[in-house]
Amino acid sequence: MSWRSEPRWQGEVVATWAFALRSLLMASRNVFFLFELLFWPVVGVLSIGLMTRFLRLDSAEASFVLIGTMALSTVQVCQLDVSYAVLFDVWSKSMKHQFLAPIGVRHITIGAWLVGIARGVLVFAVLAALARWSFGFDVFRAGPLPLLAFLAGCFLTAYVVGVLVCALIMLFGTRAETSAWATVNLILVLAGIYYPLSVLPRAVAEVGAMIPLTYFLDAYRAHYGFAGEFPAPIARGFVLAAVYVAASHWALAAAIRRTRQSGLLLKMSE
Amino acid sequence: MAVMLAIEARDVVKTFRAGWIRRRDTPALRGVSLDIPRGVIFGLLGPNGAGKTTLLSIMATLLRPDAGWVRVLGHDVMSDPTPLRRRLNMASGNASFLWSLRVGEILAFYGRLYGLHGARLRRQVESLIELCELGSHRRVPYNELSTGLKQRLALAKALLNDPELLFLDEPTLGLDPDISVRMRRHVADLRRQRGMTIVLTTHYMREAEELADEIAFIKGGRILARGTGDELKRQLGFGDVIALRLDPLGSRALVAEAEGVMRVAEVDGWIECTVDTAEKRLPQLLHRLHTEGAVVRDVQVREPDLEEVFVELAK
Repeated sequence: MSWRSEPRWQGEVVATWAFALRSLLMASRNVFFLFELLFWPVVGVLSIGLMTRFLRLDSAEASFVLIGTMALSTVQVCQLDVSYAVLFDVWSKSMKHQFLAPIGVRHITIGAWLVGIARGVLVFAVLAALARWSFGFDVFRAGPLPLLAFLAGCFLTAYVVGVLVCALIMLFGTRAETSAWATVNLILVLAGIYYPLSVLPRAVAEVGAMIPLTYFLDAYRAHYGFAGEFPAPIARGFVLAAVYVAASHWALAAAIRRTRQSGLLLKMSE
Repeated sequence: MAVMLAIEARDVVKTFRAGWIRRRDTPALRGVSLDIPRGVIFGLLGPNGAGKTTLLSIMATLLRPDAGWVRVLGHDVMSDPTPLRRRLNMASGNASFLWSLRVGEILAFYGRLYGLHGARLRRQVESLIELCELGSHRRVPYNELSTGLKQRLALAKALLNDPELLFLDEPTLGLDPDISVRMRRHVADLRRQRGMTIVLTTHYMREAEELADEIAFIKGGRILARGTGDELKRQLGFGDVIALRLDPLGSRALVAEAEGVMRVAEVDGWIECTVDTAEKRLPQLLHRLHTEGAVVRDVQVREPDLEEVFVELAK
C-alpha cells in the first residue's frame, strides 16, 4: 500500500504533528522563548499581587485580579504559539512550501495550538505556584472541573486570537506582525481581566460580553466569592468559543485564498 | 494516439495589483495557452519579468489566475487543488527554509506534510539526503548552509512525495559551474529513472538546451514561440552561421551585402553571418570575397545556439 492511500485520519494526525513538532523545535532553540514564557508572566503576577497588598484588597478582590492576570498570561503565551505558526515562515521567507503541500488551515493552527497549550499549562503552573507562595492564592480551591473549564476557556480564546492574527498576517504580511503581541491587549480591556464588565460603559460591556474568556473568568471567580454576572457562563463560553473557532478558521482560509490571488504568498517567500 | 498531457493551460491572465489609493496594475500574463505532455522536460525561457515564475506558480497552485483555466495532471488548479498537491512539488533557486532547523529536520517536517511518518519517513529522508549528497550536513542548521547546499536541500524537499510533476524555478541560480553541472545531471536522472514530468524556468540557455525536450519563450506575459531548440531556430528563420576570418577585417560590408545573408556580427575577430543555408551560400560568399580581393584566413560553419534565438526573441 502506498502512503498516498493510507487512512485519511492518519494523514491528518501526521500533518498536525508536523507543525507541533516544528513549534517545539523552534521553541527549544530560542532563549527568548523561555524569557517570553516566564519573565513577563512572573512580573505580571508579582506586580499585580503586590498592588493588591498596597491597596489592602480583601481576599476575594485580590483573587479577582490575580485570576485575571494569570488568565491573561496563559492566553498570551498560547496565542503567540498559534501566531508563530505563520510568523516563523514570514520571517524565514519560507511561506510557499507549506502551502504547496496538501494540508489545510487546521493542521497549521491545531499543531501550533497543541504546543501553545503545553506552554500555557506550564506558565499557569508556575504562576499558580508563585501566587500561592507569595499571596496565599490557591488555584485548586475551586476544584478540578472548574479549573479545567477555566483553562479550556483560556486556550480556546487563545486559539481564536492566534488564528485571527494569522489571518491578518496572511492579508497584510509583515506590516501586521505586531498584531501578534498587541491583539491580546484588547482582551485585557474588554474581557474583564482586572474589573467586572459592569464597570465598563454599556456599549463597551456588550462587546466584552462577546468574548468567550469573559464567561470563563466569571465562572471561575464565582468559586472565590464573587457573584457571577451571567447565567450558565460555562455553556455560553463554550458555545461562543465554538462559533469563533469556526469563524476564525473561515477568516484564515479566506485570507490564504486572497493571498494566493494577490501574489503576497509568493512575495512572503522571496 | 492522443498525447497524454501533464498540463493544459488556456488563455491564462494574471495582473498584480498594488496600492490602496493610487492603484498600480502590473500585467504578468496576458492570455497564455500551453500544453505540456507527460514525461518530458519542458523549459520556460524568458527575460526577467517575462512571467515565467508567475506561470509556474499558477500551475503549482500557489497563485490563482484572474482569467483562463489550467488543468494539471487532470485536476483543475482552482477547484481541485488538494489532490493535485499530493502529486506535484516545486524547488526554487532562491528557496528558503526555517533558519534554525537542521537539514534532516526540514526534510522530516515537509515529509510529514505529505503524510510520511515512521520508518517510511526515515527511509525517504535518508535516501534523499544520499541522492542530493547532503549526508555530512544533515545536522547543520539551514542558515549555515552554502548556496549550493541550500539548492540541493530545496531539490531534496521537492522529491519527498515522489512527485509525478516537478517544477524547478531557476534551479541553478547562483551556483558554481561544477555544482550546476551536478544539479543538471540530477534533473536529467530524475526524468530518466522516475519518468517524472519536469517544468523548469531558467536564464541559462545552455541549461535549457541540455535538459529540455521542448522550450517555450515567454516575454511580456505572452508565449512568443515554442518547440524543440531546432524547431525554434527554424521558426525564427535562424539558418546556419558562417564564421569567417577575413583580411582585411573591413570586408565585413561585402559579407553583409551578399545574397542570402540575414545578419552579420563581429565576434572576437570573426565575422559571423547568419544565412538561410550554409551549403548553398558558402560557395557564393567565398567566390564574392575572392573576386573583391578579400583574403579568407579561416572558415567555420555552425548552427546558431539557443542564446542567439533568445536574444532575437527578447528584442
